[in-house]
Amino acid sequence: MDLEALVACFGSLACVVTQTTSGLIVGLLLFLVAAGLTLIFGVLKIVNFAHGTFYMLGAYIAYSVLRASGSYGLAVLAAGAAMAVFGVAFERFLIARVYGGNVLMQLLICYAVVLIFDDLVKLVWGADFHAMGMPDAFQRAPIFIAGGVVPPFYAGLIAVSLCLAALLGLGLGVTRIGKIITAAADNPQMVSALGINTTALFALVFGLGGGLAGLAGALAAPVRSLSPGMGFSVLIESFIITVIGGMGSIAGALLAAIGIGLLRGFGTIGFPLFTDGLIYAAMILVLLLRPSGLFGREMV
Amino acid sequence: MTPLAREGGIALIVLALLLGAPALFSSPAFEDFIIRLSALALFASSLNLLVGASGMISFGHGMFYGFGAYAFALLMQRTALSLLPAFLLTLGLTALAALLVGGVCIRLKTIYFAFVTLAIQMLFYSVIISWESLTGGDQGLRGGIPRRVIAGLDINHQRHLYQVCALLLVVGLFAMRHITASPFGMTLRMIRDNEARAAFLGIPLWRPKLAVFVLAAVFAALGGVLASLFVSGAYPELADWPISGQAIFAVMLGGIESFLGPLAGSAILLALNDIFTRITEYHGLVQGGVILLFALGLRRGVLDFLRRDRARGEAASR
Amino acid sequence: MKLEVRHLTKRFGGVAAIDDVTLAFPSGSLSAVIGPNGAGKSTFFNLISGAIRADGGHVLIDGEDITAHGQAAIVRRGLGRAFQVARFFPTMTVRENLMAAVAAHRGQWGDLMRRFPPPGASPRAREIAAMLGLADSSDRVAATLSHGDQKLLDIALALALEPKILLLDEPTAGMGPEERARMIDRVQHVWSEQKLTLVFIEHDMDIVFRIAERIAVLCYGRLLAAGTPAAIRGDPAVIAAYLGTEVLAP
Repeated sequence: MDLEALVACFGSLACVVTQTTSGLIVGLLLFLVAAGLTLIFGVLKIVNFAHGTFYMLGAYIAYSVLRASGSYGLAVLAAGAAMAVFGVAFERFLIARVYGGNVLMQLLICYAVVLIFDDLVKLVWGADFHAMGMPDAFQRAPIFIAGGVVPPFYAGLIAVSLCLAALLGLGLGVTRIGKIITAAADNPQMVSALGINTTALFALVFGLGGGLAGLAGALAAPVRSLSPGMGFSVLIESFIITVIGGMGSIAGALLAAIGIGLLRGFGTIGFPLFTDGLIYAAMILVLLLRPSGLFGREMV
Repeated sequence: MTPLAREGGIALIVLALLLGAPALFSSPAFEDFIIRLSALALFASSLNLLVGASGMISFGHGMFYGFGAYAFALLMQRTALSLLPAFLLTLGLTALAALLVGGVCIRLKTIYFAFVTLAIQMLFYSVIISWESLTGGDQGLRGGIPRRVIAGLDINHQRHLYQVCALLLVVGLFAMRHITASPFGMTLRMIRDNEARAAFLGIPLWRPKLAVFVLAAVFAALGGVLASLFVSGAYPELADWPISGQAIFAVMLGGIESFLGPLAGSAILLALNDIFTRITEYHGLVQGGVILLFALGLRRGVLDFLRRDRARGEAASR
Repeated sequence: MKLEVRHLTKRFGGVAAIDDVTLAFPSGSLSAVIGPNGAGKSTFFNLISGAIRADGGHVLIDGEDITAHGQAAIVRRGLGRAFQVARFFPTMTVRENLMAAVAAHRGQWGDLMRRFPPPGASPRAREIAAMLGLADSSDRVAATLSHGDQKLLDIALALALEPKILLLDEPTAGMGPEERARMIDRVQHVWSEQKLTLVFIEHDMDIVFRIAERIAVLCYGRLLAAGTPAAIRGDPAVIAAYLGTEVLAP
């Protein structure tokens, strides 16, 4: 524990800017993963433990596409699209077989998928860590804000993630299908009552969630090292975010993601060995005060 | 014959067979397997007290396995207590810890309960990693378990450790069986089947829930103590999330409806792991495939599947 | 035992689901609560039984205020209830359901020292099963029972508590005419044999006017009228708001 360093950081604008930026990218990337998780839970009542695998595959696909084409933009889009398709396939071929079953049976299937794809990644890309490296477009001098260093990629990442979040919010709030998804997440009975084609809706939600996680993986790839199993820590933190936000709530997920990101950004300074512990403690605290998360509906 | 006498008899026979086995054939591999099985099976069965018997799905049950291992290893390394008191004290401390954790968790429902147990386990894990002076951090508690003598039995010998493990496995399973078959066990089943109805029969739900949470934790710690003896210390992996995952897997593999399901699941899991690690570097791939076969093919644990299959056969022949 | 509510009020959001209801059910009476869908009938039962907390007003059993009591305490005070959607333990047999309820009622739910069932639970369970005509189904797993038998089992579970007051939420819901007649028979039988204060919610007006001694009419959370069937039949407010003349034709 190093409270002095933490106090010193809060005393310096430069440090605050740097830590806020790094906290924000952590938080926003997690939000992209958590948004899919929370929608999937809200609409399908499925806890998708394989969501970290989508993120990992997104990162690896982006890595290979960038290698082959040299275009980071293309790499990101390819990762998003591929994972959207993968999400739909995963739902159709595996999850659809255990609807209404025990949550542990879903867990088991997801766990199997995690094991299989961790090993497949090992087979295709090798077990070693990979570094994607900074895409050319972002290899330029860092931006200085109030003395704090902000790498240009971070700024771009924050901008893109915020755009995606806004787009998601807009899509869910304005379009017809978006409204159906939000309403379904809020009240699953409504879907069958309205006579909506649930098969298509469920596949769509998984596709959306997969696509978002794939995008997040691709966006994170330049600043994270790639390894089989990289999905897991992201999965756990995304779960913490969905639970804190209230499972099924997008707004809750955004708020919780930014909160967790900032906690991590500043936690590394004050509690370098115990940053993870802080996050778990935050979740326990929130659940003690609000047993269904910040924006969760009371489960009866 | 009452069920109690019948099951007690079966337990005694199994115990006699296990203890007598080394006299008939000496197989260090078999003994090693039973030692590892005893820790996992006690742990998985204790998880099933929550999952199967009470419908309380915990993702963080591994905390108490790790707690048992660390508490026991610390008591043996840092105090002069002999094995038996250290063992009993470990169970007592686990019960206290579970009382605290359970008091927090049982207020939450379904998936929130599951995740808060996981968060508390991970918090515990973070404490183990960061409190180096006590726990040895990510290196774990090395230096072995001293004074490994119980009732004149020196359990530095694998044979003696095997005997102790076999005894605790049978006694532990029998005790858990008794719990689930008692009126208290029936209360848990009422809560699992229909919580609202149970509440309206005048059962103050939090009491049986907290009680079974503590009991399950104590049996998990029993498994943890055996693991600590087996690995001669305590390591963070014993408290990390995959430990919980392994227990869940064993329970699901064997079957949550059958009392011996978790035992069967543990045995299958250990055997599969042993085989896969030997034949391929990619054992995750193979294991994942096998899980999918089980989950999509049987849709329930092996023992549950066999039981239902038998029931269907009987119904057809009637 | 006498059941009374005074100025009972419950709001959900801004809407009053139960609005200042004052009503008494005399000891040993058989009363019906009627009203259109959404009138607050189930909420009314939930408030009385302590399943949800009232925002205002009081519930009294034999003059004792139980408003602040939890469900378990209210059960011990002698109030039992059955639910609109039958609530029971689906993986247990009928006998196990009843034995478990009896054990719970006798405070043996935490007993770790012996095997289930505790002594004495079995004969009592048999008595209750016989009372509701479930004796022949005793060894069937509850999940496999017919809809009507499941509703009977729900009531049987409530009776295991030896209640003095029994609340039945739509005992005949979802039943065909034959099952309905059997259920009403059973309810009347139980009521007279156990000398219960029985309150039931019902949509079938034929049944209500045939068996109830007293009727309370709820409409949008308010008590519209309460009294004997004859009085309710003639009540202009009830006719205007709810019953419509054709129902009232004798």
